[in-house]
Amino acid sequence: MSRAGRSLRPARERRPVLTVLAVAAYLIMLGPALFVVAVAFTSGSTITFPPEGFSLRWFGAAASYRPFLDGLGTSALVATAATVIALAVGIPATLAVHRGRLPGRAVVQNLFLSPIVLPELVLGLALYQQLMVGLGVTASGVLLIGHTILLLPYAVRVTGASLALADPALEEAARGLGAGPVTTFFRVTLPVLRPGIAAAAVLGFVTSFNNVPLSLLLQGPGTETLPVAMLQYVQTSYDPVVAAVSVVLLLAAVVVAVVAERLVGFNKIFGGIGS
Amino acid sequence: MSRRNAVLLLVPGLALLLFGFLVPAVMMLLHPPDTPALDVGHRLAQMLADPFMLGIIWRTLRIGLIVTAVCLLLGFPVAYLLSRSTSRWSGLLLALAIFPLLLSNVVRTYGWLVVLGSKGVIAQALTGLGITDHPPQLLYTETAVVAGLVQLFLPLAIVSCYSSLSGIEARLEDAARGLGASRTATFRLVLLPLAMPGAVVGATLVFAGAATAYTTPVLLGGTRQTMLSLQLFNYSSVTIDWAGASAVALLMTALVFAVAGASAWAGRRRVTA
Repeated sequence: MSRAGRSLRPARERRPVLTVLAVAAYLIMLGPALFVVAVAFTSGSTITFPPEGFSLRWFGAAASYRPFLDGLGTSALVATAATVIALAVGIPATLAVHRGRLPGRAVVQNLFLSPIVLPELVLGLALYQQLMVGLGVTASGVLLIGHTILLLPYAVRVTGASLALADPALEEAARGLGAGPVTTFFRVTLPVLRPGIAAAAVLGFVTSFNNVPLSLLLQGPGTETLPVAMLQYVQTSYDPVVAAVSVVLLLAAVVVAVVAERLVGFNKIFGGIGS
Repeated sequence: MSRRNAVLLLVPGLALLLFGFLVPAVMMLLHPPDTPALDVGHRLAQMLADPFMLGIIWRTLRIGLIVTAVCLLLGFPVAYLLSRSTSRWSGLLLALAIFPLLLSNVVRTYGWLVVLGSKGVIAQALTGLGITDHPPQLLYTETAVVAGLVQLFLPLAIVSCYSSLSGIEARLEDAARGLGASRTATFRLVLLPLAMPGAVVGATLVFAGAATAYTTPVLLGGTRQTMLSLQLFNYSSVTIDWAGASAVALLMTALVFAVAGASAWAGRRRVTA
């Protein structure tokens, strides 16, 4: 991480206005989540604060509600498959763009990043209309295509950033010493790309797992994801069962954050900060 | 790598982009299912003459701009303080600002139901303190939608501003102050022009997200605070009006592009002025 030069000013110069605004920012970002945690342990049957008594009943209710369990399975499956496919398709494309000496490589690169500029709801509509209704592709097929398209820009950009740091001379040396292109890729290039691949995989899985717009439009029998099941539950009933699910997902996010920190660095992966 | 091999490596990705993105996106405008050709253009013209629809476009633009302004107002100070901090806690504070990005929008928005609901934190506090027996309706208002979207997109604003600010040497500000510039003048003449690229990126990302969000307006705004995103969903999944859905999709995308272009232009002007 490149740090700005140290200030000559005393470190504790007061900036009351900035500090107040920054505290407000943190309260808005994190405050509501704290209340959700409290409500999840209520023994009452509505979203009420302060919670009425303590119980784990809503965790039990969440664990026995079929759409959440099925949704969790669907979400995990789609997120894993989309991440793997986006990397399997994206890494070769990254290699071609960075090492291929192609004419118009900037155009090709921008083409791979282009899905990001289209609102997710619009992408979802296009796929729903044209592939599902128009061509009759199954809901699960279109859901997987949509999520893969969603992740492709991240896969190409993040692994590309890793590859840009790698010295092509290493690969040329391997080739010069008699290694074939495949051996060179697996023995020289891939190890260099590993942090980028890890970062893209974590980012891709989280992005797909949490997505609502695509999953909402591309629904069919057996393709309801967990966030969509939660959204639909909240729209129809006012009991705190979704608070309990939220607490479970919050804990899972903490685990992902710790794993990400160990792998590559949490702020690097999710903040795109430093390289 | 030979040129032929490079092209071969691109083929799967290009095929996926073509079949799963470019062709459907173009065909969505040219030929939605069960509609005559050029019907999308028709519907678009109708919408732009319909006061109800113009109201929705205006609300979408307004909410997007307010959320963007608030995110920059609150996010810039966080980014600035973190980028200038020498504390060992600054890394953790930065991580805390980014952490919400790991949670689904449903989870993040759900918190506001607890805060703003009729038996929520604010309502209970108002009645508990004896301020009022009938707390005001907080949920299903435009303010609720703005609050939810600000929470959702603050991390993006902070991260974008931070990446600009952490590259600016603190000594530049010291030099300006040392030469007699006031704090405000230093901010306006030194810091802001240099931080502008990050702020423009942040504003563009925040607006694009806020103006096209679905989860938050549907949960916190209810049916009375319709935005373009809700209208798109309505046409495509409730009334099955394909041409209408395509026209709204075009409107939404055009709005995002227009504001992105305008903020890039304003950012450049601010720097060269």
